[in-house]
Amino acid sequence: MNRVWGMLLGLMCTATGLWAQSDVPILSGAVAFQGSRSGGANAFQPILFPVLVAPFGDHWLVEARGEIQGFIARQDGTQGPYTGQFSDVLAYLQVDYIANPHLTVTVGRFLTPFNIYNERFPLWIANLEDTPITYVIGTRTSASSNGAMVRGVAVARPKWNLNYTAYASVATTTENLQSGRAAGGRAGIFLPQDGVEVGASYQRFLQNGGSNIAGTYVNWQPPPIPLDVRAEYAHSPGGQGYWIEGAYRFASNRDINTWPSRLQAVARVQQYFKGHPTSLDVLPSTNVNQFDCGANYYLPHNIRLNGSYGRQYSSAGNSNIWNFELTYRFLFPALPGEHK
Amino acid sequence: MKTRFMAILGILVLAFSVTVFARHQNPGRGQKTTKAIANKNAAGSGEQRFQANCGRCHVPPDSLSPREVKAVLQHMRVRAMLSADDEQLILQYLAP
Repeated sequence: MNRVWGMLLGLMCTATGLWAQSDVPILSGAVAFQGSRSGGANAFQPILFPVLVAPFGDHWLVEARGEIQGFIARQDGTQGPYTGQFSDVLAYLQVDYIANPHLTVTVGRFLTPFNIYNERFPLWIANLEDTPITYVIGTRTSASSNGAMVRGVAVARPKWNLNYTAYASVATTTENLQSGRAAGGRAGIFLPQDGVEVGASYQRFLQNGGSNIAGTYVNWQPPPIPLDVRAEYAHSPGGQGYWIEGAYRFASNRDINTWPSRLQAVARVQQYFKGHPTSLDVLPSTNVNQFDCGANYYLPHNIRLNGSYGRQYSSAGNSNIWNFELTYRFLFPALPGEHK
Repeated sequence: MKTRFMAILGILVLAFSVTVFARHQNPGRGQKTTKAIANKNAAGSGEQRFQANCGRCHVPPDSLSPREVKAVLQHMRVRAMLSADDEQLILQYLAP
């Protein structure tokens, strides 16, 4: 806990010192409270995800995100008194150099860019509370990498653009800063007029004898309709699977802002097929089929309510999964007197 | 060790290639882009870019100062792969 806060505080002090000659740093992120009931076991999680962004001129950017969360559950799963524990993780602390319109160089700790769920859908963006089963393929336990990365938009045209990412990470076992030894990349094509992005990821995991991991993704938001379709497929020697998710706001178009339009229905289907997991894999030990459905309600002032029900089918036992979540998304300047 | 060396070498080659490609494709891009943007109806175009890119996950923010918007856009340029043109047009839309 102290390490994460110390790093964020140090970063903020550095940003403050250089603020006079650069741009204003911002503090963003989310506060959330999650509750779940899975297979008869209740759990509650208060969460704080602070994000600090400190730009230094037009080319340099320092970004950091901490993840502080509690886990409150019954001592023996479904019985016994409730006990709680807190954990803190540094999700990323990276220095970005925006070299030119097509290249950004990043060093430090960054979110592993395998497919897009890990980078693009933090809890205040994700449509459902639970991450997909295959989320851990390519991202493993920490979902972060320590090393270097290059990324950017290689080609930008009015009708399409091509984005890319390539990275290398070293193995780190330091508490709260874990990462795997790996190298990989991702490439995607985005068609803004159609609201479609498709891409593919590859990673060479350089531990435990080495293994190849691959994935593809699709993201589709047809511009006139408030529909959001996301899907990913991921394959590793330990297992493979896919998920596809649809979310629809009850409005005739995306610009309407009335109380029905703030309601969003969500559904997700996923299948996981077990492979040959190693000791480093955190994948399910059996094949799993699961569907989830739920609703989000977007209240004013960046508050969101979410509730969902899911049913999981596996040879280890079928179970019902109930989730609810209250999320507050915040964004304000990290220094006083800036906000208007 | 050899694999790590190859990975680092690969990243450097990729970075170099993209840089060379960018210079070849866009000589004097900064000045041209600024002039081009100044001549366009940046607000309308910026709104379209916002909807096409940012609108995939966000609604327009209630009130942000221009310097806050700039920080947010730099963050999203790195994280969500905004192009340089998109960043400039959205900046003009959110902080005219």
